Amino acid sequence: MSYALYRRGGPGLRLVTIVGLVLFVVWSAAPVVWLILSSLLQQKALIARPPDLSPANLTLDNFVTVVASAAALGRGILNSLIVALFSTAVALALGAPAAYALARLSVPRANAIAFLVLATQMLPSIAIAIPLFLVISRIGLIDNVFSLGVVYLSFNLPIVIWILRGFFLGIPAGLEKAAAIDGAGVLRTFWHIVLPISIPPLGAAAVFAFVEAWNEFFFALILTRQSAQTVPLVIAAFAGQYQTVFGQMMAAALISVVPVIVLAVVFRDWIVRGFADGMMKG
Amino acid sequence: MTSVPPRLPPAIELRRVAKSFGTVQVCRDVDLAIETGEFVTLLGPSGCGKTTTLNMVAGLEDSTSGDILLAGRRVNELSPVERDVAMVFQNYALYPHMTVAENIGFTLRMRGMKRAEIAARVTAIAASLELSHVLERLPAQLSGGQQQRVAIGRALVREPRIFLFDEPFSNLDAALRVKMRAEVKQLHQRLGVTSLFVTHDQEEAMSISDRIAVMNRGRVEQFGTPEEIYARPATRYVASFIGNPQIELMPGTVEAADGRPAVRLGAQVLPLPGDGRFRPGQKVEIGIRPEHVRLGAGNLSASVRLVQPVGPLSHVVLDWDGGSLTATLPGFSRLQPGERVSAAISPDDMLVFDQETGLRL
Repeated sequence: MSYALYRRGGPGLRLVTIVGLVLFVVWSAAPVVWLILSSLLQQKALIARPPDLSPANLTLDNFVTVVASAAALGRGILNSLIVALFSTAVALALGAPAAYALARLSVPRANAIAFLVLATQMLPSIAIAIPLFLVISRIGLIDNVFSLGVVYLSFNLPIVIWILRGFFLGIPAGLEKAAAIDGAGVLRTFWHIVLPISIPPLGAAAVFAFVEAWNEFFFALILTRQSAQTVPLVIAAFAGQYQTVFGQMMAAALISVVPVIVLAVVFRDWIVRGFADGMMKG
Repeated sequence: MTSVPPRLPPAIELRRVAKSFGTVQVCRDVDLAIETGEFVTLLGPSGCGKTTTLNMVAGLEDSTSGDILLAGRRVNELSPVERDVAMVFQNYALYPHMTVAENIGFTLRMRGMKRAEIAARVTAIAASLELSHVLERLPAQLSGGQQQRVAIGRALVREPRIFLFDEPFSNLDAALRVKMRAEVKQLHQRLGVTSLFVTHDQEEAMSISDRIAVMNRGRVEQFGTPEEIYARPATRYVASFIGNPQIELMPGTVEAADGRPAVRLGAQVLPLPGDGRFRPGQKVEIGIRPEHVRLGAGNLSASVRLVQPVGPLSHVVLDWDGGSLTATLPGFSRLQPGERVSAAISPDDMLVFDQETGLRL
């Protein structure tokens, strides 16, 4: 519904719109609110039925405990950072030129290649888990952050190529022609003209790739043991065989989402512009 | 003994140049020879192949066949930068992330010029184009006219052999277009650099060019001075494309009247020049430009349908036996719709075309 339609509509339409939006906000925010609340509640109050939300039960103990036993979480955050930054940086470094070539250069069957790139994303994770595990264990790279980074790169690269290709398709041809007349070849046009005007979609693609790698659980579970464990595995470890320490788990989860939230807030404009530009063409 | 200086080869020469995109032929057998220092315009409607021709000269498109020569050297295989041409684009194509100074200096940077020299050249060009006060602004912070001047500055800064202009004024409002037209003409008079200009605006082409190549369906229909193109159009197409209001074209048949050739248009018989060009029974098309219709004299009876004053002139649309006719009168006409007038057309002012081939007889 457009804003103009909203303005023209009567009070009934406005009421429906407002109620709908409120429900959507509640739906979206409720898990986050529950995450924050449960990280602040004592275990006893949290598992009570219904949970006892009285202020007397609020505590920072969960955070204190998690931070005090920081070795596991700290290592998890560090591993996640390495894996996410590595796969994001390499996906951008390889994906941007690939997307540019598929969008703007006379590559034979560029559309078919682009769809092939996307098709790699259509396989369910479970279908490639065993072959991937076998390959990585044969070459002795189980429990290695860089092998996990390369696996994530294989998921991130196609997405980065598709986001950026959509944007590159929309760049006015005149800019490249002007650069050619000005004496820039393909590489210098890409470096001096195309990349600087592509910062929003590059930012959007980077955030997308980073969050994907940061949150990934399944492959981290099967390809790591101890030293290369990432944040989602560390958080999951709070669920023990005999007891699940929900408060500490939620506190750890809350700490782990901070980098992603910071990233999203700082690069909000780029993400919106980048995705809008990238998704409209393709 | 006096020695005759050797004749310079044309600055731009196209020999039977053709271009196809798949099965679509955009340019066919384009032949042009543009002398050094000339200002030539490729004029034609959308899709006639003029921008493609310009792009082939620039090296932005490969020709399918034919030769492109710059100063006598075949350049078909050379890149744009090796051809030493500068180009101003329809949408300016300024780099949005660079300041005005960076935009103008980019081409020098690509040529590895030292920073100090780039800065000096950019400053000089900006001063000549009245851009000194906006050098640190981004293109989005400039008016349309300023953006256009930056685009021209970018072309000027490296002192190329040839300027190419691809409809550079089409995004400007009417007043600014006229102003920029004058600026470009003055610039050409000052620098004397060979220029190839593309436009669909015949008035723009007439006002700015030394010679005009009128293009139609990928071919050059006529290549001549603005006066030749206007007064002696080679084809019916050129006659109808040039001139505002448009020339009136009326089909007729050549007859002999009192031993002199004449043409029958409806119930009227108008005399033709008796220079032996016409034979009785010939199917022709008569073209009459509005300024050649003289009202108040002659034996052509017509009634006024419409009067359109445009300031210094009035265009009067007349109905007569042969169809409709437009006359251009000085000042504000007092004629009223429905009023009867008599009109005269001199045989020498009539443009006569072969009905079948469209060629002027």
